[in-house]
Order: sequence, then structure tokens, then C-alpha cells
Amino acid sequence: MNKETTIHWLLVVASFIGMIDSAYIGFISLTDTLIPCGLTLGCDKVLSSPYSHLGNVSISWIGLLFYLLVASNSIFGLSGFRQAFKITLAASTLAFLITLYLLYIQIFILKAFCDYCLLSAFLVILILGLQLKLNFWGKTELSI
Amino acid sequence: MPKKTSPTGNRSKDRKRLKKQSPSILTPVLLIIFFVVAAVGVALYLKLSSTEGVRNQTSSINNSSTIASVLSTNGWTKGNGEAKAVLVEFGDFQCGACAAARLRISKITEQYGSRLKVVFKQYPMQRIHRNAMIAAQAAEAAGQQFKFWEMHDLLFERQNRWAQVPDAHTIFLKYASELGLDLARFKRDIWDSKTKEKIYRDVMEGQIAQVQSVPAFFLNGKPLRNARDDAEFENLILEGIQSIQ
Repeated sequence: MNKETTIHWLLVVASFIGMIDSAYIGFISLTDTLIPCGLTLGCDKVLSSPYSHLGNVSISWIGLLFYLLVASNSIFGLSGFRQAFKITLAASTLAFLITLYLLYIQIFILKAFCDYCLLSAFLVILILGLQLKLNFWGKTELSI
Repeated sequence: MPKKTSPTGNRSKDRKRLKKQSPSILTPVLLIIFFVVAAVGVALYLKLSSTEGVRNQTSSINNSSTIASVLSTNGWTKGNGEAKAVLVEFGDFQCGACAAARLRISKITEQYGSRLKVVFKQYPMQRIHRNAMIAAQAAEAAGQQFKFWEMHDLLFERQNRWAQVPDAHTIFLKYASELGLDLARFKRDIWDSKTKEKIYRDVMEGQIAQVQSVPAFFLNGKPLRNARDDAEFENLILEGIQSIQ
């Protein structure tokens, strides 16, 4: 397995974890269940805040679409198809900027953290790093 | 003019060869579907098991399946604390119907307070009411300074002013100041994990008691059916008081 293939698999795994995380928060947002938040104790404050929704829709569903895009791109890449590098990189950059904004909200406005949001922030940063690595540094032909 | 020729000289063979070389779209599409279904499945399983865990945890406190045994009569009470007849309300400070029910409850407490114990339990419906949880926390924090009912009334009376704002807690700080609370302590208590745990316990009780909507009333451990008007509500309460004495 060459470097590019490894990066693509890492992207698939990171996106898969991201999809579980987003879908879990999404399902929680559809019910009135209180959220168990082991480490930070701030999940209810963060996830019930107005910043966690666009209208009536939890932003985690938008996150799920982002992870789906990244996973799809890498799976197509692994299968020997041309990949939508520019779109995925643009989406990852946008996701990174949104992540920075949401971290700012958690630190300075809500003064509370949510485990699931922090996991998502880590995954978005990891995905952007891997995308940059794939696109600009050490880019070679993908051999499958 | 040179005649066009295929690499092997056989066009149908070439087409078959090209078909073999180009990757099939089916495999990645199936893989993507598999990943999405698996991720959503795992998330749903985690969600259901966490809800189940919460239920089991509360059920283990009391194995009896009757709602009466699940509902504790502790909490924020008014009326006669020693009364046998107990009216438990599960309420949400951002719910319009709960604000309306407050007046009904006040009237009932005034009239039958000597024979009735009224208990308020938190049931913030966070999915539809974004500020319900922080309002519940504000009421609990006020309760730490023996002003729960005062904050309860203020939150319901002024519901329209804070229900849709992004930083409701700053408004609640003003209410705390209006009630003469120690603001430093209020600020500490509103975000305290114990405050949240208290609300969680109430919500767990509500989930066990199968509360579907708010306000939900239980009289002597039994769900109180919806009353059309104040008179019917009063009659139901009176029947409950008389049946237990």
C-alpha cells in the first residue's frame, strides 16, 4: 500500500467516525433525551444553544454531509476514479473555518465544551491536514 | 488517406478490453452506501442504548412498575407539605401552555393549599425550546437561595422576553438581581454540574412516567387527564383530594 492509498484509507476511517458522531448528535437533537457527556459536562449547554442549529435543523446533519463527501471522494479515489479534489478541499477548508468559529463560541461565549463537538473538531482538522498532504505535498500518481 | 485501425485490429475485442480496464462504479457506490448505513446504524444503536441506560438506571432505584412508586414527591413544593394529596407537575419554562397552567396552579394552591401538596419537576424540552434548559438551571440556581418559586413566576410571566434570545442567561442574571439574589453565587450555581444533575433526575423521572408533553400533571401518582377549562381542572383536583382523605 503506497502513501496515497494509506491517506485515502485514513480519510475514510476519519469520515466514518465523523459520520457516527454527527448522526448521534443529530438523533439526540430530534428527541428530548438528555445527553450523557462524560468528560466536559457541557453537552446540553452547547447542543441546546441557538448556535447548534440553523433554523430548526441541527448543524450536525450538515457535518454528516461533509463527512459523506470526504468519504465518497476517497472511496472513489481508491477505486481508481478521478476525484473531486478541488470540491473536497474547498469543503474541508470551509469545515475547518466553521470549526474554528464553533470552538470560539464554546470557549468565549458559552464557556462550555461538548465531547462530541471536540471530537468533530479534531476530525475536521485531521481531514484538512490529510487533504493538504494529498494535494500539495508529495503528490504522486495514485496506484491501485 | 490511412485507414483507421484499432490496436489489435479487432474493434469488438478492444471494446471488451476497455470495458474490463475501466473500474466499475458499482463497487464504490456500494461501499459508500455500506459506510453510511453502518455509521447511522452505530449512531442509532448508541443513542438507543444511552437512553435505555438512563431508564435502567432510574428503574433500578425502584423496581415497581407503577408511576406512583416512580414519582418522588420531593422537589420544589408549595401548599401543605404534609398533605396526603400530591399534585406533581412536569413543566418547561419555555412552554406557553406551562405559562398558562401556572395561573391555574396558583388558583388551586390558594383554594386547596391546606389539603394539597404541589410539586414542580423540571422537564425542559430542549429539542423545541432552545432556552428551556438554561431557564431550568436559572430556576434551580434561584432555588439554592430559597427563591425558586419567585424565579419560577418571573420566568413564566416574562417568557416572551427571553424565549428566543441567544444569550438568555444574561437576562436571567437581571432577574436574579431583581430578586435580590447573591449574583456571584447565582452565576456559580447556574452552571454547576449539581444543578444539571438535579434537572436530569427530574427528566429521568418524567421519562419513566412516560411524559409525552408539558405540562404533565400527576395527582396522587396517577396521570391527570386534560381538563378543558379551569372549572374541570378544579373538579379533578377536588376529586383527587377527596378520594385520598
